[in-house]
Amino acid sequence: MIDTKKLFAVAKAKGIQDIQVYFSNTTNLSVQIFEGDVDKYEIADSSSLTVKGIFNGKMGVYRTEVLEDSLIDEIVDTIISSAKVIDSLEDGIIYEGDKEYKELDDIYNEELTNLDVAKKIETLKELDTKFHAFDEKVKNVETSYTETTNSVLLENSKGLKLFNKANASYIVAEVIVNDGEDQRVGFDVQITNDFKDYKIDEMVQEIATDALNSLGAKPVDSGNYEIVFTGLALATLFSAFQGLFSGRSVQKGISLLKGKLGTAVGSSLINVVDDPFMKKSASSRSFDDEGVATKFKYLIEKGVLKTYLHNLVSAKVDGIESTGNGFGGGISSVNMKIESGVTPKEEMIQSCKKGLLITNVQGAHAGANPVSGDFSLQAAGYQINDGKIGAPVALITVAGNFIQMLKDVVLVGSESKMTYYGITAPYIKVKSMPVSGN
Amino acid sequence: MLLEKKLIENLLDAGLSRGADFAEVFVESKNSSALQSLSGRLEKVNSNKSFGVGIRLAKKFQVVYGYTNNNNPEDLLKLADDLSKSFNDEVLTKRTPLMELEVGDLHKVEIKPTDVTLEEKVALIKKAYKATDEYDEAISQVMIHLLDSSQDVLIANSEGRFVTENRTRVRIYINAVAMNKEGIMQTGGNGPGSGKGYEYFFNDIDVAEQGREAARIAVTMLNAEECPSGVMPVVIHNAFGGVIFHEACGHPLEATAVAKDSSVFCGKMGKKVASDVVTAIDDGTIENAWGSANYDDEGYPQQRRVLIKDGILKSYMIDKINGRRMKSEPTGSSRRESYKYAPTSRMSNTYIDNGKSKFEEIIAATKYGLFARKLGGGSVNPGNGDFNFAVMEGYMIRDGKIAEPVRGASIVGNGGNILNKIDMVADNLDCGRGMCGSVSGSIPADVGQPTLRVIDVTVGGKRGA
Repeated sequence: MIDTKKLFAVAKAKGIQDIQVYFSNTTNLSVQIFEGDVDKYEIADSSSLTVKGIFNGKMGVYRTEVLEDSLIDEIVDTIISSAKVIDSLEDGIIYEGDKEYKELDDIYNEELTNLDVAKKIETLKELDTKFHAFDEKVKNVETSYTETTNSVLLENSKGLKLFNKANASYIVAEVIVNDGEDQRVGFDVQITNDFKDYKIDEMVQEIATDALNSLGAKPVDSGNYEIVFTGLALATLFSAFQGLFSGRSVQKGISLLKGKLGTAVGSSLINVVDDPFMKKSASSRSFDDEGVATKFKYLIEKGVLKTYLHNLVSAKVDGIESTGNGFGGGISSVNMKIESGVTPKEEMIQSCKKGLLITNVQGAHAGANPVSGDFSLQAAGYQINDGKIGAPVALITVAGNFIQMLKDVVLVGSESKMTYYGITAPYIKVKSMPVSGN
Repeated sequence: MLLEKKLIENLLDAGLSRGADFAEVFVESKNSSALQSLSGRLEKVNSNKSFGVGIRLAKKFQVVYGYTNNNNPEDLLKLADDLSKSFNDEVLTKRTPLMELEVGDLHKVEIKPTDVTLEEKVALIKKAYKATDEYDEAISQVMIHLLDSSQDVLIANSEGRFVTENRTRVRIYINAVAMNKEGIMQTGGNGPGSGKGYEYFFNDIDVAEQGREAARIAVTMLNAEECPSGVMPVVIHNAFGGVIFHEACGHPLEATAVAKDSSVFCGKMGKKVASDVVTAIDDGTIENAWGSANYDDEGYPQQRRVLIKDGILKSYMIDKINGRRMKSEPTGSSRRESYKYAPTSRMSNTYIDNGKSKFEEIIAATKYGLFARKLGGGSVNPGNGDFNFAVMEGYMIRDGKIAEPVRGASIVGNGGNILNKIDMVADNLDCGRGMCGSVSGSIPADVGQPTLRVIDVTVGGKRGA
């Protein structure tokens, strides 16, 4: 480990005004079962130190995985030479700290780490057996368990010192089903830091049923359809447009939400929050990477845009306080959540005359333009005819504009799902969207 | 030397101590820098130094992997020992003494990133910015990233393999935003890069011209109409258009998918999988190309692999462990992002080879359809071959002529049958840079093709059919 006292002293002697170190250690355990046997087992331990220093008002950044004191001069010199060429309008900021940081007592669960690996493997094998027992069309099963523990120590020359430790685990299951004519894939992830939460039977039931039901899926005719998105599909869409909420993107003029504060950007049924204190989420944090206390906040409340997300620099430009969303050198939400509504999903489906239930959208990193808000994404799901689930659908695209879609939301579902995108989302129904198929 | 040879031998021995039949040590040291500018002003300069060791053991199909960035010999030995405990046997496989392999450096670097000052890097960015910004008054914002990296690797295994190499890569990514009076925004991106050093920017390309290309796309798309949807012929232009083959056919030809019987190309070796005009190649030996290297990440020399010849499937891309399941030799195709990933079969520089048609002939032969001049990224479901990708710059083709620009288009299809629907291939092969994400992380990979026509594909767009 690099001696931070020594680093701070050398930095000061060479003319750096303020300096901050962010130490992160991550340990990983990952097991994968293929056809009943362990075929991958992985253990890992890695650390890094990110050093930020302010010289002549500008900030240079140096990240290293080599944690040796012999590197101190190189770190300080690189930060200074970097700061010298930066000519951004805004100065870099090192934060003196907030008065209070919320105690988060449930983001590290020691029991999870201590639980015997054999038990974790046994659960995966049970999952594998149950998938195969579910239906003879289940051809190929791959399941994996991953567990991560992350410790963070932030310390700066303004006297701030913060520590955080969190752990999380997830089980991924992927099955291939084949009826001799068609082959489909079923996939899902469960995330928790409490092993008791895993619902193996539910996972088997949901993934296998969906995969089997989707056998023989075909495109539908092109046209406009009422669209019901599942929580996972909606979260996938949101993940492509998360950047719109960044205060920095707004200032750069590359967010659709520019100038929209206080105005309606969605139907009055839409509420979107950033909840940094969400239970059992490994992302939950009481401070961001800049040392600012995180806050629960509404981004969209009853359809109205309430705030952008800010880090120290973007907040200063707008003359406000940071919202505690300075992560990884940029801006991001901690746990974005589209709040659930009141309509059970069955009722949503019943309400559609000519609709589609979209269970999966793909290619959000390519088919969605985060600047214009336009998207055209590959989707799969089921037809809904006169309120009833019909034939499976694949190889279609659903197109639209993110903001227009939010405005066209007519129902919000009562159940929601925490997804691997770090976004929690309910089922929603959108009035009408263009679908391209046959 | 990244790690003492004696220590490496001890790690391999510890790995084999409880019955593993294969042990491998991967050591990586990498320096990289990323400069980011907004509207010509330099906003960020990030420097990164990474180092780590990955140890992989296998017994038949079972693989255990561990990594750390601790280089303390006792800790590394403990890691190898911990990993070996996955097997409860005695020594079954003897280690072959390490023999250094030298294929010679096929990818020479003239100007290393460390030979270039920050001021020179900033000058490149400013030059690119100026040209992009001045292209048209509709350009409202220009973002430029300049990235370079120098990765040193050492790969040694219990079969006596021992290789070292340096891989240097540079890239500039220019993103232009154009805005009209109504506040509508469209973007255009261009990201040339190379497996060379800074001579690429100083001698090979003109960053100003690259910037103007990004601006041209943004402005063209600003004046485009929404793309109509439906099933139609699509003419996919050369270079980055090859992403279609990469996503739809390249991934399912990787042993990762084939070995576990989850690819549409399983059992198709020697059979016809594409129309006669299609020959496809994955070549990791192209001099200084974006996806090239002297060795793969298992220490095998990179190769040129003919995947499909005149429509017949000739080769998969195979790594060592999946090769065991497939009872096939590795093809030098094993790659990984970093020591944080166990390697597996991946593409390098993958392209459809030149055909005999001319670009103009293909357009002229198309009465109505979409000309996808520039594609964005995409994704594929390896289980059933369904793929999608975005069209960044598209035009309608009407009566054999390129007509109005269209935006918001995406192309959706299936990798199992699209190759049979290619009916014309031009002679203008070119490649484009990509970052390919899969189980062993995000790696640089070239995609490429000549202009070609797919007879019918589903095009998604906001305008009705």
